[in-house]
Amino acid sequence: MRGYGIIVILLVGLGFFLAPQALAAGGDNILYEGDSIYHHITIRQDGKERCMIFGRRRDLRQTCIDLEMPDAAIFEYSSMMFAGFLFRPEAKAVCLIGLGGGYIPTVFRMHLPQVRLRTVEVDPHVEKLARQYFGFSVPAGQSLTIDDGRQFLKKSQERYDQIWLDAFNSDYIPAHMTTKEFLKLVRSRLNEGGIVVQNLFCDSKFYDAQIATFRSVFAKVFAFEGQRSGSCVIVASDRPASDPAGLRKQAERMGGWIGRIDLYAEAAKCKVPSAARKAPVLTDDYNPANLLLMEKK
Amino acid sequence: MQIVYFVFVLLLVSFGAVVMSLEILSSNLMSPYFGGSIYIWGSIISSFMVHFSLGYVAGGYLSRRFPKVSVLAAFLLVCSLWVLAIPFLYQSVCEFLSENIADVRLGSLAAMNVIFLVPVSIMAMVSPYIIGISAAWRRTSGLTAGMVLFISTVGSFAGTNITAFYLISLFPVSRIIMGLGMICLTVSLIVLLLRIDRWIGIPDANSRG
Repeated sequence: MRGYGIIVILLVGLGFFLAPQALAAGGDNILYEGDSIYHHITIRQDGKERCMIFGRRRDLRQTCIDLEMPDAAIFEYSSMMFAGFLFRPEAKAVCLIGLGGGYIPTVFRMHLPQVRLRTVEVDPHVEKLARQYFGFSVPAGQSLTIDDGRQFLKKSQERYDQIWLDAFNSDYIPAHMTTKEFLKLVRSRLNEGGIVVQNLFCDSKFYDAQIATFRSVFAKVFAFEGQRSGSCVIVASDRPASDPAGLRKQAERMGGWIGRIDLYAEAAKCKVPSAARKAPVLTDDYNPANLLLMEKK
Repeated sequence: MQIVYFVFVLLLVSFGAVVMSLEILSSNLMSPYFGGSIYIWGSIISSFMVHFSLGYVAGGYLSRRFPKVSVLAAFLLVCSLWVLAIPFLYQSVCEFLSENIADVRLGSLAAMNVIFLVPVSIMAMVSPYIIGISAAWRRTSGLTAGMVLFISTVGSFAGTNITAFYLISLFPVSRIIMGLGMICLTVSLIVLLLRIDRWIGIPDANSRG
Protein backbone atom coordinates (compact mmCIF):
# COMPACT_ATOMS: atom_id res chain seq x y z
CA MET A 1 0.00 0.00 0.00
CA ARG A 2 2.79 2.39 0.93
CA GLY A 3 4.39 1.71 -2.43
CA TYR A 4 1.25 2.92 -4.22
CA GLY A 5 1.21 6.06 -2.11
CA ILE A 6 4.74 6.93 -3.16
CA ILE A 7 3.93 6.30 -6.80
CA VAL A 8 0.88 8.56 -6.57
CA ILE A 9 2.97 11.31 -4.97
CA LEU A 10 5.60 10.94 -7.68
CA LEU A 11 2.99 11.08 -10.42
CA VAL A 12 1.38 14.18 -8.95
CA GLY A 13 4.82 15.77 -8.64
CA LEU A 14 5.56 14.90 -12.26
CA GLY A 15 2.21 16.42 -13.23
CA PHE A 16 3.25 19.72 -11.68
CA PHE A 17 6.52 19.58 -13.55
CA LEU A 18 4.89 19.02 -16.89
CA ALA A 19 2.02 21.43 -16.29
CA PRO A 20 1.81 24.27 -18.84
CA GLN A 21 4.89 26.43 -18.75
CA ALA A 22 2.99 29.57 -17.89
CA LEU A 23 3.19 29.20 -14.15
CA ALA A 24 2.07 32.80 -13.77
CA ALA A 25 4.14 33.77 -10.80
CA GLY A 26 1.49 34.92 -8.40
CA GLY A 27 0.67 38.49 -7.48
CA ASP A 28 3.86 39.83 -9.03
CA ASN A 29 3.31 41.69 -12.26
CA ILE A 30 4.52 38.75 -14.31
CA LEU A 31 1.99 37.79 -16.96
CA TYR A 32 3.89 34.91 -18.46
CA GLU A 33 7.05 32.95 -17.83
CA GLY A 34 8.17 30.02 -19.92
CA ASP A 35 10.64 28.56 -22.34
CA SER A 36 10.76 28.40 -26.09
CA ILE A 37 13.34 26.33 -27.91
CA TYR A 38 15.63 29.37 -27.94
CA HIS A 39 14.96 31.48 -24.90
CA HIS A 40 13.63 31.74 -21.42
CA ILE A 41 10.94 34.36 -21.86
CA THR A 42 9.24 36.47 -19.23
CA ILE A 43 6.47 38.96 -19.87
CA ARG A 44 5.86 41.50 -17.16
CA GLN A 45 3.94 44.66 -16.75
CA ASP A 46 4.82 47.82 -14.83
CA GLY A 47 2.03 50.35 -14.97
CA LYS A 48 1.16 50.67 -18.63
CA GLU A 49 4.51 49.32 -19.82
CA ARG A 50 4.56 45.72 -20.88
CA CYS A 51 7.90 44.02 -21.58
CA MET A 52 9.10 40.79 -23.16
CA ILE A 53 12.32 39.80 -21.41
CA PHE A 54 14.75 37.22 -22.74
CA GLY A 55 17.11 35.26 -20.55
CA ARG A 56 17.34 35.03 -16.82
CA ARG A 57 18.99 38.36 -16.17
CA ARG A 58 15.86 40.36 -16.24
CA ASP A 59 17.35 43.78 -16.67
CA LEU A 60 19.19 43.19 -19.89
CA ARG A 61 17.42 42.09 -22.99
CA GLN A 62 13.96 43.32 -23.41
CA THR A 63 11.46 44.74 -25.73
CA CYS A 64 8.66 46.85 -24.32
CA ILE A 65 5.50 48.61 -25.41
CA ASP A 66 3.39 51.29 -23.85
CA LEU A 67 -0.10 49.78 -23.81
CA GLU A 68 -1.81 53.14 -24.30
CA MET A 69 0.65 54.46 -26.87
CA PRO A 70 2.03 51.40 -28.67
CA ASP A 71 3.96 53.62 -31.08
CA ALA A 72 5.95 55.40 -28.35
CA ALA A 73 9.51 54.10 -28.11
CA ILE A 74 10.35 53.02 -24.57
CA PHE A 75 13.88 52.12 -25.56
CA GLU A 76 16.09 54.52 -27.39
CA TYR A 77 17.44 52.01 -29.90
CA SER A 78 14.06 51.23 -31.39
CA SER A 79 13.48 54.86 -32.32
CA MET A 80 17.10 55.23 -33.48
CA MET A 81 16.58 52.53 -36.09
CA PHE A 82 13.96 54.70 -37.79
CA ALA A 83 16.80 57.08 -38.68
CA GLY A 84 17.18 54.67 -41.59
CA PHE A 85 14.41 56.71 -43.24
CA LEU A 86 16.64 59.79 -43.14
CA PHE A 87 18.89 57.98 -45.61
CA ARG A 88 16.16 56.31 -47.66
CA PRO A 89 12.97 58.34 -47.15
CA GLU A 90 11.38 56.92 -50.27
CA ALA A 91 11.91 53.29 -49.16
CA LYS A 92 9.14 51.00 -50.41
CA ALA A 93 10.37 47.67 -49.07
CA VAL A 94 12.01 47.02 -45.70
CA CYS A 95 13.16 43.72 -44.20
CA LEU A 96 13.33 43.50 -40.40
CA ILE A 97 15.25 40.62 -38.83
CA GLY A 98 14.10 40.06 -35.25
CA LEU A 99 10.52 40.58 -34.08
CA GLY A 100 10.59 40.72 -30.28
CA GLY A 101 7.41 42.28 -28.93
CA GLY A 102 6.67 43.76 -32.34
CA TYR A 103 7.21 47.44 -31.54
CA ILE A 104 8.85 48.21 -34.90
CA PRO A 105 6.17 46.50 -37.05
CA THR A 106 3.53 48.34 -34.99
CA VAL A 107 5.10 51.72 -35.85
CA PHE A 108 5.20 50.69 -39.51
CA ARG A 109 1.55 49.64 -39.35
CA MET A 110 0.44 52.91 -37.76
CA HIS A 111 2.67 55.45 -39.50
CA LEU A 112 4.31 53.90 -42.56
CA PRO A 113 1.48 51.91 -44.13
CA GLN A 114 2.85 52.54 -47.63
CA VAL A 115 6.02 50.56 -46.85
CA ARG A 116 6.05 46.82 -47.45
CA LEU A 117 7.60 45.38 -44.30
CA ARG A 118 8.85 41.82 -44.18
CA THR A 119 9.66 40.65 -40.66
CA VAL A 120 11.80 37.55 -40.07
CA GLU A 121 11.84 35.94 -36.62
CA VAL A 122 13.57 32.69 -35.75
CA ASP A 123 11.46 31.75 -32.74
CA PRO A 124 7.82 30.73 -33.42
CA HIS A 125 7.00 31.13 -29.75
CA VAL A 126 8.00 34.81 -29.83
CA GLU A 127 5.46 35.37 -32.59
CA LYS A 128 2.75 33.68 -30.54
CA LEU A 129 3.52 35.78 -27.47
CA ALA A 130 3.75 39.00 -29.49
CA ARG A 131 0.26 38.35 -30.86
CA GLN A 132 -1.16 37.33 -27.51
CA TYR A 133 0.34 39.97 -25.22
CA PHE A 134 1.56 42.84 -27.41
CA GLY A 135 -1.26 43.36 -29.85
CA PHE A 136 1.02 42.38 -32.71
CA SER A 137 -0.69 41.60 -35.97
CA VAL A 138 0.35 41.33 -39.59
CA PRO A 139 -1.66 43.86 -41.60
CA ALA A 140 -2.06 43.82 -45.38
CA GLY A 141 1.22 44.98 -46.87
CA GLN A 142 3.33 43.40 -44.12
CA SER A 143 4.44 39.81 -43.85
CA LEU A 144 6.11 37.61 -41.27
CA THR A 145 8.39 34.64 -41.87
CA ILE A 146 9.59 32.25 -39.18
CA ASP A 147 13.18 31.44 -40.15
CA ASP A 148 16.80 32.10 -39.31
CA GLY A 149 17.64 35.56 -40.68
CA ARG A 150 20.66 34.46 -42.69
CA GLN A 151 18.89 31.40 -44.05
CA PHE A 152 15.96 33.54 -45.09
CA LEU A 153 18.06 36.10 -46.97
CA LYS A 154 19.99 33.34 -48.68
CA LYS A 155 16.92 31.46 -49.90
CA SER A 156 14.74 34.41 -50.80
CA GLN A 157 15.75 36.45 -53.81
CA GLU A 158 13.69 39.47 -52.76
CA ARG A 159 15.39 42.86 -52.59
CA TYR A 160 14.80 45.70 -50.15
CA ASP A 161 15.54 49.40 -49.79
CA GLN A 162 16.45 48.93 -46.16
CA ILE A 163 17.40 45.83 -44.18
CA TRP A 164 17.17 46.22 -40.39
CA LEU A 165 19.06 43.82 -38.14
CA ASP A 166 17.56 43.66 -34.67
CA ALA A 167 18.50 40.13 -33.66
CA PHE A 168 21.26 41.13 -31.25
CA ASN A 169 21.11 41.37 -27.52
CA SER A 170 23.49 42.56 -24.86
CA ASP A 171 24.53 39.09 -23.77
CA TYR A 172 24.19 36.93 -26.86
CA ILE A 173 24.38 37.49 -30.56
CA PRO A 174 23.88 34.99 -33.37
CA ALA A 175 27.49 35.00 -34.52
CA HIS A 176 26.71 33.90 -38.07
CA MET A 177 24.88 37.20 -38.57
CA THR A 178 27.92 39.35 -37.78
CA THR A 179 30.38 38.28 -40.44
CA LYS A 180 31.73 39.77 -43.63
CA GLU A 181 30.16 36.94 -45.63
CA PHE A 182 26.78 37.66 -44.05
CA LEU A 183 27.04 41.39 -44.76
CA LYS A 184 27.91 40.61 -48.38
CA LEU A 185 24.75 38.52 -48.56
CA VAL A 186 22.78 41.43 -47.05
CA ARG A 187 24.29 43.83 -49.59
CA SER A 188 23.25 41.52 -52.42
CA ARG A 189 19.64 41.75 -51.19
CA LEU A 190 19.57 45.56 -51.29
CA ASN A 191 18.18 47.64 -54.10
CA GLU A 192 20.44 50.21 -55.71
CA GLY A 193 21.48 52.65 -52.97
CA GLY A 194 19.84 50.59 -50.23
CA ILE A 195 21.02 50.67 -46.63
CA VAL A 196 21.56 48.30 -43.71
CA VAL A 197 20.57 49.36 -40.20
CA GLN A 198 21.90 47.38 -37.24
CA ASN A 199 21.21 47.80 -33.57
CA LEU A 200 23.88 46.86 -31.01
CA PHE A 201 25.48 48.02 -27.77
CA CYS A 202 28.37 50.48 -28.07
CA ASP A 203 30.42 49.58 -25.02
CA SER A 204 32.05 46.28 -25.99
CA LYS A 205 34.93 45.34 -28.23
CA PHE A 206 32.35 43.65 -30.40
CA TYR A 207 31.14 47.09 -31.45
CA ASP A 208 34.57 48.04 -32.84
CA ALA A 209 34.85 44.69 -34.61
CA GLN A 210 31.41 45.14 -36.13
CA ILE A 211 32.28 48.63 -37.40
CA ALA A 212 35.47 47.22 -38.94
CA THR A 213 33.47 44.40 -40.54
CA PHE A 214 30.87 46.79 -41.98
CA ARG A 215 33.68 48.94 -43.37
CA SER A 216 35.13 45.92 -45.13
CA VAL A 217 31.88 45.51 -47.09
CA PHE A 218 30.21 48.95 -47.40
CA ALA A 219 31.60 52.21 -48.73
CA LYS A 220 29.87 54.39 -46.14
CA VAL A 221 29.39 53.48 -42.49
CA PHE A 222 27.71 55.76 -39.93
CA ALA A 223 26.96 55.24 -36.26
CA PHE A 224 24.15 56.72 -34.22
CA GLU A 225 25.16 56.88 -30.59
CA GLY A 226 22.46 56.72 -27.96
CA GLN A 227 22.25 59.64 -25.54
CA ARG A 228 19.98 58.03 -22.96
CA SER A 229 21.30 54.48 -23.29
CA GLY A 230 24.30 52.39 -24.26
CA SER A 231 22.72 51.57 -27.60
CA CYS A 232 24.24 52.30 -30.95
CA VAL A 233 22.83 51.91 -34.41
CA ILE A 234 25.03 51.34 -37.44
CA VAL A 235 23.82 52.55 -40.83
CA ALA A 236 25.78 51.40 -43.87
CA SER A 237 25.40 51.97 -47.56
CA ASP A 238 27.28 51.86 -50.82
CA ARG A 239 26.06 55.21 -52.00
CA PRO A 240 28.83 57.72 -51.41
CA ALA A 241 26.34 60.63 -51.38
CA SER A 242 25.02 59.63 -47.96
CA ASP A 243 26.09 62.39 -45.64
CA PRO A 244 25.36 63.03 -41.95
CA ALA A 245 25.11 66.80 -42.49
CA GLY A 246 22.18 66.32 -44.86
CA LEU A 247 20.19 64.33 -42.31
CA ARG A 248 18.72 67.36 -40.57
CA LYS A 249 17.43 68.71 -43.84
CA GLN A 250 15.96 65.35 -44.62
CA ALA A 251 14.25 65.29 -41.23
CA GLU A 252 12.79 68.69 -42.03
CA ARG A 253 11.54 67.47 -45.40
CA MET A 254 9.83 64.55 -43.68
CA GLY A 255 8.03 66.86 -41.28
CA GLY A 256 10.32 66.00 -38.39
CA TRP A 257 8.37 63.02 -37.10
CA ILE A 258 7.49 59.42 -37.81
CA GLY A 259 4.59 58.93 -35.42
CA ARG A 260 6.05 59.81 -32.03
CA ILE A 261 9.67 59.47 -33.15
CA ASP A 262 11.52 62.79 -33.29
CA LEU A 263 13.68 62.67 -36.40
CA TYR A 264 15.61 65.84 -35.54
CA ALA A 265 16.73 64.25 -32.28
CA GLU A 266 17.75 61.08 -34.08
CA ALA A 267 19.60 62.99 -36.82
CA ALA A 268 21.70 64.72 -34.16
CA LYS A 269 23.08 61.39 -32.93
CA CYS A 270 24.78 60.54 -36.20
CA LYS A 271 28.56 60.28 -36.32
CA VAL A 272 31.24 58.88 -38.53
CA PRO A 273 32.73 56.29 -36.20
CA SER A 274 36.44 56.52 -35.55
CA ALA A 275 38.46 53.50 -36.55
CA ALA A 276 39.43 51.49 -33.51
CA ARG A 277 42.93 50.13 -33.58
CA LYS A 278 43.30 46.37 -33.72
CA ALA A 279 39.58 45.76 -34.20
CA PRO A 280 39.30 42.49 -36.15
CA VAL A 281 37.11 41.98 -39.20
CA LEU A 282 34.75 39.11 -38.35
CA THR A 283 34.46 36.33 -40.91
CA ASP A 284 32.76 32.95 -40.99
CA ASP A 285 36.19 31.49 -40.29
CA TYR A 286 37.33 33.86 -37.55
CA ASN A 287 34.44 34.83 -35.37
CA PRO A 288 34.87 35.42 -31.64
CA ALA A 289 31.77 37.70 -31.63
CA ASN A 290 30.31 36.41 -28.40
CA LEU A 291 33.65 36.56 -26.61
CA LEU A 292 34.27 40.14 -27.80
CA LEU A 293 30.82 41.04 -26.55
CA MET A 294 31.93 40.26 -23.01
CA GLU A 295 35.04 42.44 -23.23
CA LYS A 296 34.32 46.03 -22.40
CA LYS A 297 36.26 48.76 -24.19
CA MET B 1 56.83 -0.68 -19.02
CA GLN B 2 56.48 3.01 -18.23
CA ILE B 3 56.58 3.81 -21.90
CA VAL B 4 53.45 1.79 -22.53
CA TYR B 5 51.54 3.76 -19.95
CA PHE B 6 52.95 6.96 -21.41
CA VAL B 7 51.69 6.04 -24.86
CA PHE B 8 48.27 5.02 -23.58
CA VAL B 9 47.84 8.27 -21.65
CA LEU B 10 49.12 10.30 -24.61
CA LEU B 11 46.60 8.67 -26.95
CA LEU B 12 43.71 8.96 -24.52
CA VAL B 13 44.31 12.59 -23.59
CA SER B 14 45.13 13.91 -27.05
CA PHE B 15 42.33 12.21 -28.95
CA GLY B 16 39.89 12.81 -26.10
CA ALA B 17 40.72 16.51 -26.35
CA VAL B 18 40.69 16.73 -30.15
CA VAL B 19 37.32 15.03 -30.52
CA MET B 20 35.56 17.50 -28.24
CA SER B 21 37.40 20.44 -29.73
CA LEU B 22 36.04 19.38 -33.12
CA GLU B 23 32.55 19.10 -31.69
CA ILE B 24 32.70 22.70 -30.43
CA LEU B 25 34.16 23.96 -33.71
CA SER B 26 31.61 22.14 -35.83
CA SER B 27 28.94 24.66 -34.81
CA ASN B 28 31.06 27.39 -36.40
CA LEU B 29 31.33 25.32 -39.55
CA MET B 30 27.59 24.65 -39.70
CA SER B 31 25.97 27.95 -38.70
CA PRO B 32 26.83 30.01 -41.81
CA TYR B 33 25.10 27.40 -43.95
CA PHE B 34 22.32 26.07 -41.74
CA GLY B 35 21.67 28.87 -39.26
CA GLY B 36 22.40 29.21 -35.57
CA SER B 37 19.32 27.45 -34.35
CA ILE B 38 18.97 24.76 -31.71
CA TYR B 39 18.63 22.29 -34.61
CA ILE B 40 22.30 22.69 -35.39
CA TRP B 41 23.24 21.51 -31.91
CA GLY B 42 20.79 18.64 -32.24
CA SER B 43 22.54 17.54 -35.42
CA ILE B 44 26.02 18.00 -33.97
CA ILE B 45 25.43 16.10 -30.76
CA SER B 46 23.41 13.28 -32.29
CA SER B 47 25.91 12.78 -35.12
CA PHE B 48 28.81 12.62 -32.70
CA MET B 49 26.91 10.10 -30.55
CA VAL B 50 26.38 7.88 -33.58
CA HIS B 51 30.06 8.19 -34.55
CA PHE B 52 31.10 7.40 -30.99
CA SER B 53 28.98 4.27 -30.85
CA LEU B 54 30.32 3.05 -34.19
CA GLY B 55 33.85 3.68 -32.95
CA TYR B 56 33.22 1.85 -29.68
CA VAL B 57 31.96 -1.26 -31.44
CA ALA B 58 34.73 -1.18 -34.04
CA GLY B 59 37.44 -0.49 -31.43
CA GLY B 60 36.25 -3.32 -29.22
CA TYR B 61 36.07 -5.77 -32.10
CA LEU B 62 39.42 -4.80 -33.64
CA SER B 63 41.25 -4.87 -30.30
CA ARG B 64 40.27 -8.51 -29.97
CA ARG B 65 41.16 -9.37 -33.58
CA PHE B 66 44.41 -7.36 -33.65
CA PRO B 67 45.50 -6.51 -30.10
CA LYS B 68 48.31 -4.26 -31.36
CA VAL B 69 48.85 -0.58 -30.69
CA SER B 70 50.35 -0.20 -34.17
CA VAL B 71 47.05 -1.20 -35.79
CA LEU B 72 45.23 1.45 -33.78
CA ALA B 73 47.92 4.00 -34.67
CA ALA B 74 47.53 3.20 -38.36
CA PHE B 75 43.81 3.97 -38.13
CA LEU B 76 44.63 7.19 -36.28
CA LEU B 77 46.98 8.19 -39.08
CA VAL B 78 44.10 7.99 -41.55
CA CYS B 79 41.96 9.95 -39.12
CA SER B 80 44.64 12.68 -38.85
CA LEU B 81 44.81 13.10 -42.60
CA TRP B 82 41.04 13.41 -42.74
CA VAL B 83 41.07 16.11 -40.03
CA LEU B 84 43.73 18.00 -41.98
CA ALA B 85 41.46 17.87 -45.02
CA ILE B 86 38.37 19.28 -43.24
CA PRO B 87 39.25 22.97 -43.75
CA PHE B 88 39.43 22.35 -47.50
CA LEU B 89 36.37 20.11 -47.59
CA TYR B 90 33.67 21.63 -45.47
CA GLN B 91 32.75 24.69 -47.51
CA SER B 92 31.86 22.81 -50.66
CA VAL B 93 30.12 20.03 -48.69
CA CYS B 94 27.99 22.50 -46.70
CA GLU B 95 27.32 24.66 -49.75
CA PHE B 96 26.19 21.65 -51.78
CA LEU B 97 24.02 20.13 -49.04
CA SER B 98 22.40 23.41 -47.97
CA GLU B 99 21.42 24.10 -51.56
CA ASN B 100 20.03 20.65 -52.19
CA ILE B 101 18.31 19.89 -48.88
CA ALA B 102 15.70 22.47 -47.95
CA ASP B 103 15.21 21.31 -44.36
CA VAL B 104 18.10 22.63 -42.23
CA ARG B 105 17.73 19.78 -39.75
CA LEU B 106 18.27 17.16 -42.41
CA GLY B 107 20.88 19.27 -44.19
CA SER B 108 23.04 19.85 -41.13
CA LEU B 109 22.70 16.20 -40.11
CA ALA B 110 23.91 15.13 -43.54
CA ALA B 111 26.79 17.61 -43.49
CA MET B 112 27.90 16.52 -40.02
CA ASN B 113 27.99 12.90 -41.15
CA VAL B 114 29.85 13.51 -44.39
CA ILE B 115 32.50 15.58 -42.65
CA PHE B 116 32.91 13.84 -39.31
CA LEU B 117 31.79 10.20 -39.60
CA VAL B 118 35.22 8.82 -40.50
CA PRO B 119 37.54 10.79 -38.19
CA VAL B 120 35.29 10.85 -35.12
CA SER B 121 34.49 7.13 -35.35
CA ILE B 122 38.20 6.37 -35.50
CA MET B 123 38.93 8.65 -32.54
CA ALA B 124 36.20 6.91 -30.55
CA MET B 125 38.05 3.62 -31.09
CA VAL B 126 40.92 4.73 -28.84
CA SER B 127 39.38 3.99 -25.42
CA PRO B 128 37.86 0.57 -26.17
CA TYR B 129 40.99 -0.40 -28.09
CA ILE B 130 43.22 0.39 -25.13
CA ILE B 131 40.82 -1.36 -22.75
CA GLY B 132 40.91 -4.39 -25.05
CA ILE B 133 44.72 -4.46 -25.22
CA SER B 134 45.02 -3.99 -21.46
CA ALA B 135 42.60 -6.81 -20.83
CA ALA B 136 44.52 -9.15 -23.11
CA TRP B 137 47.83 -8.05 -21.63
CA ARG B 138 47.25 -9.23 -18.11
CA ARG B 139 50.15 -7.44 -16.53
CA THR B 140 48.54 -4.03 -16.72
CA SER B 141 46.03 -4.68 -14.02
CA GLY B 142 46.68 -1.09 -12.94
CA LEU B 143 44.84 0.35 -15.91
CA THR B 144 41.20 -0.47 -15.35
CA ALA B 145 38.49 0.25 -17.89
CA GLY B 146 37.25 3.00 -15.59
CA MET B 147 40.70 4.59 -15.46
CA VAL B 148 40.96 4.55 -19.26
CA LEU B 149 37.62 6.34 -19.58
CA PHE B 150 38.62 8.78 -16.84
CA ILE B 151 41.85 9.80 -18.58
CA SER B 152 40.17 10.23 -21.94
CA THR B 153 37.37 12.27 -20.36
CA VAL B 154 39.89 14.59 -18.67
CA GLY B 155 41.31 15.16 -22.16
CA SER B 156 37.82 15.89 -23.47
CA PHE B 157 37.21 18.37 -20.68
CA ALA B 158 40.39 20.24 -21.58
CA GLY B 159 39.65 20.14 -25.30
CA THR B 160 36.14 21.52 -24.86
CA ASN B 161 37.04 24.43 -22.61
CA ILE B 162 40.30 25.47 -24.22
CA THR B 163 38.58 25.61 -27.59
CA ALA B 164 35.42 27.39 -26.50
CA PHE B 165 37.05 29.83 -24.08
CA TYR B 166 40.33 30.65 -25.79
CA LEU B 167 41.12 29.20 -29.20
CA ILE B 168 38.03 30.60 -30.94
CA SER B 169 38.97 34.13 -29.90
CA LEU B 170 42.58 33.72 -30.95
CA PHE B 171 42.54 31.92 -34.30
CA PRO B 172 40.38 31.31 -37.36
CA VAL B 173 38.44 28.07 -37.10
CA SER B 174 40.15 26.58 -40.15
CA ARG B 175 43.56 27.17 -38.58
CA ILE B 176 42.47 25.59 -35.28
CA ILE B 177 41.33 22.49 -37.17
CA MET B 178 44.65 22.35 -39.01
CA GLY B 179 46.36 22.52 -35.63
CA LEU B 180 44.22 19.68 -34.30
CA GLY B 181 45.08 17.64 -37.39
CA MET B 182 48.77 18.28 -36.81
CA ILE B 183 48.45 17.13 -33.18
CA CYS B 184 46.69 13.94 -34.31
CA LEU B 185 49.32 13.31 -36.97
CA THR B 186 52.23 13.89 -34.61
CA VAL B 187 50.79 11.65 -31.91
CA SER B 188 50.00 8.81 -34.30
CA LEU B 189 53.48 9.01 -35.88
CA ILE B 190 55.19 9.02 -32.47
CA VAL B 191 53.18 6.00 -31.39
CA LEU B 192 53.94 4.17 -34.65
CA LEU B 193 57.66 4.96 -34.47
CA LEU B 194 57.97 3.87 -30.84
CA ARG B 195 56.86 0.39 -31.94
CA ILE B 196 55.21 0.02 -28.60
CA ASP B 197 53.99 -3.50 -29.23
CA ARG B 198 57.50 -4.79 -28.40
CA TRP B 199 56.78 -3.94 -24.76
CA ILE B 200 53.41 -5.55 -24.62
CA GLY B 201 53.59 -9.32 -24.36
CA ILE B 202 50.19 -10.67 -25.07
CA PRO B 203 49.92 -14.35 -24.33
CA ASP B 204 48.58 -16.15 -27.36
CA ALA B 205 45.20 -17.73 -27.31
CA ASN B 206 46.47 -21.25 -26.51
CA SER B 207 48.23 -20.37 -23.29
CA ARG B 208 45.28 -18.33 -22.01
CA GLY B 209 43.06 -19.60 -19.20
